[in-house]
Amino acid sequence: MLEVRALSKNFGGVKAVKELDLAVNAGDIFGVIGPNGSGKSTLVNLISGVFSATSGDILFQGQSLSRLSPHARVRMGVARTFQNIRLFPGLTVWQNLWVARNSAEDIRAEGVSYRWFRKGGPVKKEIDNMLEFSGLADKGDELASNLAFGEQRRLELARAAATKPRLLILDEPAAGMNQDEIRDLDWRIRQLRQQGMTIILIEHVMDLVMGITDRIAVLNFGSKIAEGEPAAIQENKSVQEAYLGQSKDD
Amino acid sequence: MDDFWFEFVEITQSIGDGFLFGSTYALIGIGFTLIFGAMGKLNIAYAATAMAGAYSSLAIFIFFDASLIIIFIVSAASAAILGYLVYLSCFRFIPVHNHLAAMMASVGGLFFIDEVIVHTTRGSPLSFPSMFAEAYFEVGPYGIRGDLLFVFVIGLISTGALLYVLFRTRLGLATRAVAQQDVAARLCGMSIHSTNSTTFAVAGLLGGIAGAMTAAAVGILSPVMMLPLTIKGLIVTVIGGLGSIPGAIIAGLFVGSFENVVMYVRGIDERDMYVVALLFVFLIFRPNGLFGKTITRD
Amino acid sequence: MDYFLNLINTIGIHTLLGLSAYVLLLTGQLSLAQAGFFAVGAYTAAILTVIFGWNILPAIGLGMLSTGSLAFLVGFPALRVRGLMLVVATLAFGEFVRMFFYNFEWRVIQEGVEVGPEGTMGFSEIRYFAEHGWTNWEVTSLIWVFVVIVMALIWWADQTRSGAVLRAVGEDELAAGTVGIDVMVTKVAAMTVGGVIAGLAGGLYAHQITMLDHHAFTVLLATFAIAYPILGGVSSVFGTLVAVIFIQGLLVEGLRFLGDWRMLLFGALIVVVMNVKPRGLFDSQMLRWIKNALRLRFSRGLS
Repeated sequence: MLEVRALSKNFGGVKAVKELDLAVNAGDIFGVIGPNGSGKSTLVNLISGVFSATSGDILFQGQSLSRLSPHARVRMGVARTFQNIRLFPGLTVWQNLWVARNSAEDIRAEGVSYRWFRKGGPVKKEIDNMLEFSGLADKGDELASNLAFGEQRRLELARAAATKPRLLILDEPAAGMNQDEIRDLDWRIRQLRQQGMTIILIEHVMDLVMGITDRIAVLNFGSKIAEGEPAAIQENKSVQEAYLGQSKDD
Repeated sequence: MDDFWFEFVEITQSIGDGFLFGSTYALIGIGFTLIFGAMGKLNIAYAATAMAGAYSSLAIFIFFDASLIIIFIVSAASAAILGYLVYLSCFRFIPVHNHLAAMMASVGGLFFIDEVIVHTTRGSPLSFPSMFAEAYFEVGPYGIRGDLLFVFVIGLISTGALLYVLFRTRLGLATRAVAQQDVAARLCGMSIHSTNSTTFAVAGLLGGIAGAMTAAAVGILSPVMMLPLTIKGLIVTVIGGLGSIPGAIIAGLFVGSFENVVMYVRGIDERDMYVVALLFVFLIFRPNGLFGKTITRD
Repeated sequence: MDYFLNLINTIGIHTLLGLSAYVLLLTGQLSLAQAGFFAVGAYTAAILTVIFGWNILPAIGLGMLSTGSLAFLVGFPALRVRGLMLVVATLAFGEFVRMFFYNFEWRVIQEGVEVGPEGTMGFSEIRYFAEHGWTNWEVTSLIWVFVVIVMALIWWADQTRSGAVLRAVGEDELAAGTVGIDVMVTKVAAMTVGGVIAGLAGGLYAHQITMLDHHAFTVLLATFAIAYPILGGVSSVFGTLVAVIFIQGLLVEGLRFLGDWRMLLFGALIVVVMNVKPRGLFDSQMLRWIKNALRLRFSRGLS
């Protein structure tokens, strides 16, 4: 589904991502972990189009994303959430979801008039369902800025899902969550995968990552230092060193 | 053949004269770019404070028959004070992220200053002492005007002094630190407000010099000069690249030459239209300007 | 009475001008170009009625079409850059238009008399209303019919997805792109609509005032245009209307005794309001307060 080939990103002198190779299979939940500064967020920004790569390529379902703007990538089916939630604060919860309905199929279905679509009919049903799924059913008319933190996180997730992506990248969605919220998030991610999405999960919260992913890639200083199934990664020495520094025995 | 040679000389003469006069635009451009670089905001009232400085110095000249040096000092000082006042009224108390409100406020400041000047002078143009106007050097077929040369030299000295302050003093260091990372700067104990107000004052100093330079080169001071100077200053800043001092310098000199040639070819009525057209050409092909911080998706 | 009607007309036309800037402000763009489109709309409509003898409605219509197209074209280079640069670009554009008309001449002999725009002398003798027997009341009504229509259209659009998309772009361009909104298209569309509305205002203005002078289309007018929605806030179109009434009614007319000092006050007023209420006088806070106050009043009345 997604292939990253020799991807590099330099910011002035800083090499945030160095010749990165990744392959994500359709239907997988693929984890990306690594210490702070390892290039995880840069990777997300590169795939979603916020940054343009210094070299290398990103292929989505065989097609290169290189020259596409962020919104074009969404139309192709790639969506992402933000680590530090970027909802539209002045819009209501309902509106936040409404403006995100930009998938190719939604645009086709509603034709030219999709931009002018009033708050009704099958659109309303879909959005109400999403609100229901996110536990925000009664908050539709609330301003996004007035939501509690947990609610905002759920809205952020729902908004990305509203674009009906084939590939959804979650950028540290569990940050700041308590155990209950993390369990809830785990459930949500599984639901989304069941609906047919492939998911890339960037995370620090190890319980979540180890429990939910099919494969994990570990980044350090912009390069991949390990890749494999969760169990193997947990045993991997270089991964441990990357996170904890040199072990006492060395 | 003679005609061609004549035209060639005339045109290159225009370029040269415009180049020298362009140093005034360069200073104004630097002023705009300094404030943008430091705070990420545009101070639309900047050129107005520059001219207000020139008016103050003219007042001193009229009432006290001041000398050349005093005129420039008064212009620079009063523009610096005004710059600080503009900072206080239009930038200090408006939330940092709200660029538009601050800019709008500075537009209000522009009107305010413009009106004060119009009322004080009853709207009529006043003559400004022209310095070294009698001096005229002949170099082959060309004539170098003394007043323009003088203005250019002042520009050079001012720019040199500014660069020295920016890169060799603590104040300059502080300004650059705040410009690059204001949160970190604050955490290091630097006062953003005092650094920014100083930036405004320094930009004001530069502007006052530029204002006096412009008035000296043209020989008149009139409130109708305020808006074109603002616009040209902004155009220079944009063409040079927002936040870039070398860009502002080069762009200022370039615009000065360009507009003078246009004036020779098409007359003064159409001159400014071409300067605006030049801006749009740059916006289409090089929106970052010559040296601007790249405005890509990064 | 005539004086009063003139004021009403000015308020109406300035409301349209303010609304043209409002649409752009929704997307977070501060445009000082609206006075430029206003001028183009004014001259186009006037030339069509005076030189070509057109009926006023199609004349204004073609004026709107031309300003819309112009706004569309200007939008592309201008909107590629960040908001602040847009201010410079639109400011420059506005001045360009003014200078253009300062130099523009198109004189035609009609029934032995020379008519048409005359460069620095302006464009006088725009006598459509007089020649066709319009009363002052009819002129005022025409203007305000358009004001009401435009306000209703914008209000309606705000209830649809388009309104939400415009505002999303205004709130966070990056996030908007990330959820699939084509930010460039949205901004250019807003610019075009703004241009059309400004052209409408210009066409009405030209015939109401019967003469055009390049002095009318300065940065001051452009500032008025953007000041209205900034003062009035972007939460509602009514904010712009109130801002126009406030500034025009109070400042320009009611304070006539201040003479030329009123511009000084205008400048100071902008500075003060921006400091006190940077999100505009009628931000969502104020609107909720008004809604609650009205609710209280009504419930007390009923019980």
